[in-house]
Amino acid sequence: MPEPGFRDRLVFHDAIETLEVDFSNLAFDSPAVVDAFFDEQDRRLAATGRRWYFLVNYQGCTIAPGAWDRFTERGRNTNVEHSLGTVRVGASGELRQQIHQDAGREMFRANIFSSRDQALQALGVIRKRAAARGSGEGRFLHVDDIHLRFGGVRAITGVSFHVERGEISSIIGPNGAGKSSMLNIINGVYRPQQGSITFLGRTRRHMRPHEAAKQGVARTFQNIALFRGMTVLDNIMTGRNLKMKVNFLLDAIYLGPARREELANRRVVEEVIDFLEIQHIRKVPVGRLPYGLQKRVELGRALAAEPTLLLLDEPMAGMNVEEKQDMSRFILDVNEQFGTTILLIEHDMGVVMDISNHVVVLDHGEKIAEGTPDDVRGDPVVIRAYLGAA
Amino acid sequence: MLYREAGQFKANYAADQQIFPIRQDRIAVVVLLAVMFGVVPLVANEYWLSAILTPVLIFALATLGLNLLTGYAGQLSLGTAAFMAVGAFAAYNLILRIPGIPLLVAFVLAGLSAALVGIVFGLPSLRIKGFYLAVATLAAQFFVVWALTKFGWFSNYSSSGVINAQKMAILGYSFDPPAPKYLLVLTIVTVMALAAKNMVRSSVGRAWMAVRDMDVAAEVIGIRILHTKLLAFAVSSFYCGIAGALYAFAYLGTVEPEGFSLDLSFRILFMVIIGGLGSILGSFLGAAFIVLLPIFLNTITHPIEQALGLTLPPGLMSNLELIVFGGLIIFFLVVEPHGLARLWQIAKEKLRLWPFPH
Amino acid sequence: MQFFFEVLIGGLLSGVMYSLVAIGFVLIYKASGVFNFAQGSMVFFAALTCVSLVERGLHFWLALPLTLAAMVVLGLATERIVLRPLVNQPPITLFMATIGLSFFIDGMSQLFWGAQPHGLDIGIADEPWQWISDATGINVSVFDLAVAGIAAALVTSLALFFSRTRIGRALRAVADDHQAALAVGIPLQQIWGIVWAVAGFVALVAGLLWGARNGVQFALTFLALKALPVLILGGFESIPGAIVGGLIVGASEKLAEVYLGPYVGGGVEGWFPYVLALAFLLVRPEGLFGEKHIDRV
Repeated sequence: MPEPGFRDRLVFHDAIETLEVDFSNLAFDSPAVVDAFFDEQDRRLAATGRRWYFLVNYQGCTIAPGAWDRFTERGRNTNVEHSLGTVRVGASGELRQQIHQDAGREMFRANIFSSRDQALQALGVIRKRAAARGSGEGRFLHVDDIHLRFGGVRAITGVSFHVERGEISSIIGPNGAGKSSMLNIINGVYRPQQGSITFLGRTRRHMRPHEAAKQGVARTFQNIALFRGMTVLDNIMTGRNLKMKVNFLLDAIYLGPARREELANRRVVEEVIDFLEIQHIRKVPVGRLPYGLQKRVELGRALAAEPTLLLLDEPMAGMNVEEKQDMSRFILDVNEQFGTTILLIEHDMGVVMDISNHVVVLDHGEKIAEGTPDDVRGDPVVIRAYLGAA
Repeated sequence: MLYREAGQFKANYAADQQIFPIRQDRIAVVVLLAVMFGVVPLVANEYWLSAILTPVLIFALATLGLNLLTGYAGQLSLGTAAFMAVGAFAAYNLILRIPGIPLLVAFVLAGLSAALVGIVFGLPSLRIKGFYLAVATLAAQFFVVWALTKFGWFSNYSSSGVINAQKMAILGYSFDPPAPKYLLVLTIVTVMALAAKNMVRSSVGRAWMAVRDMDVAAEVIGIRILHTKLLAFAVSSFYCGIAGALYAFAYLGTVEPEGFSLDLSFRILFMVIIGGLGSILGSFLGAAFIVLLPIFLNTITHPIEQALGLTLPPGLMSNLELIVFGGLIIFFLVVEPHGLARLWQIAKEKLRLWPFPH
Repeated sequence: MQFFFEVLIGGLLSGVMYSLVAIGFVLIYKASGVFNFAQGSMVFFAALTCVSLVERGLHFWLALPLTLAAMVVLGLATERIVLRPLVNQPPITLFMATIGLSFFIDGMSQLFWGAQPHGLDIGIADEPWQWISDATGINVSVFDLAVAGIAAALVTSLALFFSRTRIGRALRAVADDHQAALAVGIPLQQIWGIVWAVAGFVALVAGLLWGARNGVQFALTFLALKALPVLILGGFESIPGAIVGGLIVGASEKLAEVYLGPYVGGGVEGWFPYVLALAFLLVRPEGLFGEKHIDRV
């Protein structure tokens, strides 16, 4: 039964393109309540025909364990359809504790602010970033009939798929299916014999890697590709390379433009370091770090470039359960807080189903399925090729 | 106790980015510079100035150049001496043929000529990696020396290509006597070392190290590989060119193309390895080590000779040098690939704890 | 035309001499993946040791095996002291270590045996073979032909060794993948010992032939430098490549000197092979017979 108070809980602020959602003191006791709220919200959002920033007030909100899954699912779908970015207000510690107790999980830990003012300020920053990036309508990423061969070996045959802005998309499939090669093509490292990539409205067969980087594509690698001779800080600073315009002569003098640029970029990098919680190792040479932390640093280097599209190649490989949870949270936070579209390759089905909006399944270089996680999970072709009969 | 950093907190990024973040280091450097500039020229004798300090500084500059290319940017070069030769002969020709050209301008132009040659021989680095690139630089080494010998124009048609470097003077003040010569070299080397340190700690240095460590990843981040490599060749050759000019003008006085042979290239490579790949300080330590080692060996064999009543054969010294150099290279590469610079760092870390054991 | 052939054949045959040195490099590279810059010094050491033993009164056929034994010891010591501790380092580091090693061996050789050049006579004269001169009017040195013959015999026996014998197969396995070779029970130590022994033998042969032609002197150590272009042209992992590369380098060097030299005042052969190798690197980096390496990201 829809609560009469729902109407008042949704306030549209046109001037700052923000929808303020008031969950305060609301109890989501069952999936039905969740559905009721989100139906109302989605209906009103669809009526506006455009995307909004979300300012969500969680003060005093409770979510019953049974309603939690539905809550996250509806929330995620709403984000994909309508969100430009989300900030939350709540007595974060308390709410998190409570949810941890009730639902047995932790909530996303970033962009939760204790006061509405702080939240609005953060929202301002997100909006400024987005404005700087430009919104670019049109197709975000479309992969069209790609064929890739290495000598006589056919790595990819006739693969096409589509990724929406703001989505988290996963590519899955058995080993050797061509997943990493697909990322390499999007990124410009490999050149396909046939087919094209359309990114932000521009169609090409091949981009050189540094052109892809200029367009806002960043990535991580399966076998960590960090610069072993440098510290964590320096590695992440290299991610800012395209933003740093000063030439080597000014660098040699250092005082003046070079120093200013260096300090400004250091500030941004420190934000990334804070986001990934790696402050304590910032001066450590990366070669000395354990595997899980190296993966995090590599993610940091990719994030430092403020990418529009983030390609992650098996970001959870070799991690234990806790590390996977951490990494999942980081990925979700990046997607929500910065609005970054994410395309990832992953073998852990639990993670894929949990965090993705959209899944592409490759097998022996061909696409055998595409759709939402649920579609793919139930697809008999996929089950036979990859998941195995349950 | 003396070397504690306790109480030295960095309140902003600027403080954290300093070249010498620890106050004791800053004091030490200031004292060192004061001594080098103020005290040494007054107290040191001519032998020390002309035969030890000046050549160490000049070789340190060349080592710095090679270190930027091989240690930081990861491009192995066996042609260092060739770039030095270009610098030396270019400076000579500029001063000879353009009357009234200021000395420092001639040096800078000589460095730029060397940089141009460096870019040409660095072009293959786009397609060739690692130690295959050494072949390209070998080609440079042999070709440059041959060209300087064959085309008499370079040496003003003197026999066998020997040139007498002109006396150095700036605004009428002569830098011929040992002390002013030393001060001029010291100033040039200090300024260039500072510039090098600034470059390696900012974005160009990081780009070099990224290309060295993993160039595929570097390209993915947006670093232009060819541009970065050619810049490394250019800057490195510039440094070697100026070192070569100083080598001719401030040290030997008389040079010939044969004097810039492969042997010299190897020597400088050894300075880089022993001093520490990828270290500014290491360049100085390595140069000092290699210059002082033969003198040291000489000094200890004489008393040994006398004590044992032997006269050692004349070739022994040079063979001993070869053995010690070769052995040290292997030793450093195996035991401490980061060379003396790393040993220095370890010593400093121990000093931080002193007098406590851990 | 006659002159051209003379120069060409002379160049080809001197190229064979380069090939002999290059084969030693290929062997070490195949077995341990390192370019042994010290090979030239080892050639020098081999020649110098043999000659010095003979001069001290030992019979040639006794000095030879003793020298070979010394070469094997040198090789094993190199493997144990220099290569093994550096096993995971990038190739540049290994290469620099072998540069250091070459200096070390040079110094030791001269410390032991002294620094004077020695003449070496192995009984083959360096004169035109009358029979060919009479028939075709081209002068071809007997010595050069003997060298070609020895090289041919050496290459053939090496080729047979690698492809037909069990040890040869083990060697190829080791060259491919040390871990896998260990996994199938190939005794790595023994294999390396054999490789160094063979390389030492090749170095000795090359040293004696070069010594006979140019005298046993310090300049022999710089053969390592000449071998580099040969290997780039032929590929680092191929013995036939070393032969072909050597022939090309030898021939082109002499032809360039004769035909290009007069325009630029001579001395062209000092740098021509390197420029040729450079051009090759740009077009076909793996050499004529080498294997292409694909970097997987």
